[in-house]
Amino acid sequence: MAREKIYQEEEFPSPLMQLWYNFRQKPIVMLGFGAVLFLIILAIFSPILTPYPSTQNHLNDLLLPPAWHPIDGNVSYLLGTDKLGRDMLSRLMHGASFTFGLSFIVVIISLIIGVVIGSLSALTSGIKSSFLNHFLDVVLSIPSLLLAIVIVAILGPGLSNTVWAIVIVLIPQFIHVTRNEVKQEFTKDYVLASRLDGASSLRILQYSIFPNIIEKIIGQATLAQSAAILDIAALGFLGLGAPIPMPEWGAMLSDGIDLFYIAPWTVYLPGLAILFSVVATNLVGEGMRHALKLRKDK
Amino acid sequence: MLLLTILSFSLSFLFPGNSVINMSGQVNATAEQLSLLAAQYQQNENIFSQYLAYISRIFSGDLGLSMASQLPISSEIANLLPATVELSLVALLLAMVTGIPIGFIAAIRHRKASDNIILTIAMLGYSIPVFWLGLLAILVFSIQLGWLPSAGQISLLYEINHVTGIQFIDILLSDSQYKWQAFQNAGAHIIMPACVIALAPATLFIRLARSAMLEVLETSYIRAAKAKGLTLQQIIFRHAIRNAFVKVIRDVGLQFANLVTIAMVTEVIFSWPGIGRWLIESIFHRDYTAIQGGLLALSCFIFLVHILTDFIYAALNPLAREKKHGT
Repeated sequence: MAREKIYQEEEFPSPLMQLWYNFRQKPIVMLGFGAVLFLIILAIFSPILTPYPSTQNHLNDLLLPPAWHPIDGNVSYLLGTDKLGRDMLSRLMHGASFTFGLSFIVVIISLIIGVVIGSLSALTSGIKSSFLNHFLDVVLSIPSLLLAIVIVAILGPGLSNTVWAIVIVLIPQFIHVTRNEVKQEFTKDYVLASRLDGASSLRILQYSIFPNIIEKIIGQATLAQSAAILDIAALGFLGLGAPIPMPEWGAMLSDGIDLFYIAPWTVYLPGLAILFSVVATNLVGEGMRHALKLRKDK
Repeated sequence: MLLLTILSFSLSFLFPGNSVINMSGQVNATAEQLSLLAAQYQQNENIFSQYLAYISRIFSGDLGLSMASQLPISSEIANLLPATVELSLVALLLAMVTGIPIGFIAAIRHRKASDNIILTIAMLGYSIPVFWLGLLAILVFSIQLGWLPSAGQISLLYEINHVTGIQFIDILLSDSQYKWQAFQNAGAHIIMPACVIALAPATLFIRLARSAMLEVLETSYIRAAKAKGLTLQQIIFRHAIRNAFVKVIRDVGLQFANLVTIAMVTEVIFSWPGIGRWLIESIFHRDYTAIQGGLLALSCFIFLVHILTDFIYAALNPLAREKKHGT
């Protein structure tokens, strides 16, 4: 997109657009962004793209190593098969929609709930808000995985319970960020100006404040996303999350442990997949924070 | 602290089943025993006095019986918690010893190649799922190279009496003639899990130390020292390291909670006889009394370390002390 300046007019892009211009400066960050997009596409279209269904057994081809193995490699199973003869590549691709896709959904749900509660609580004051503050401090000091394990212990193991547990765990972080940011913005002059124009608090929130804090919330969302991927996978690995036949990456990993010494690829491939998605998410988050800093320094 | 006990108290209502059974763990109790227990926990009173009864039982050291093994929870925790304490403290030490100096180096060589390399490695280390790393470590170091043992706290050959539960102290206290070999053996057992646990916190320490050092290097007293003509080495060792270190110490408490969770997962992989593995097993067994007690013990431990680091921070940093007296 070439942005030619024909007119003398100065253009002021919105905060989100400014962030994007700064964001795409760094190639490594764009690489991470591309990887995240790739994972999203994979998560959505995995049933169409995969060569085999995730639970189809090929009983003649148990524990085949990946295709680049000099003796046993077979191109029809690019990344090999596991102990029940299920194609690793298809399982990994299906797993993208569980581990990565679910973490994405988890983050969006907790973002919406967190932002709503956070911005409403920023408007209140007095005993209600101070109670919330102390409560948040306590919840934030408990590590997310521990809290998720406790909630799963209450609800009982299972994938949907895991999802709810992680949603509940992530909400306080969003409340905290939104609350602080909204409070900060409310002290600024432009808010005062629109208040003098007679705008109500909710209107100010919608038109003046949200466009200015959305980037901070997105930054928090990338952090939450990488935490969510790791937590879903960790719970799956501990056997508290997705049940074994599901191609969730953490559950696949723990499924492969028994034959770890004979067929290490059943363990290192899901691990690499988790690593890849977390690194991609962190790269995007890092780029976001960097771009934010650039804009603030200007 | 109060909130924690309230949380653990309310857990007994949130878990499925009778709350009296959940709290006491008496699964096979008769109706009379149950009513006796209900009287003890003041079940028929209002919630508040129920809570007070619960607290007083905790303070008298009675956490109920484990539903799975019918052993008192408090003795099980006393057996298991020290192993976790040992593992996590060794890991914390490792993380601090490696992470902080590397962070300082990165800050001193700010915006150079080495800084970038350190940051990249730090981000990779932060993103590696810990259970995967643990498995890879077992595969490489115990199976293929055969250097380190893959599971447990110490080889079964050594008979060490259980005194404090912290293996190294127990070995030193015991009067076995193979004391030194046992010590080495326990050392070999702890290296791998501790390294695996330490990786993620170490990368966090790298970041913290880096930003703390950058902040310190910008201050005016460093500029004054430079103006006096001190060499870079003198500035770093005499002025910068101390001040940056104090800032990092402040965050150790927060990181510790994170480290303990990682330790829980790692205990499962390395079959370390600690409280994390026991907790996760009790979730499988639906052993609600054990979950309550274990969580309480674990969070008390985290809380203690929090307070301890706060004290250390205050002791090291006169500025923090002044402020506290002022307000």
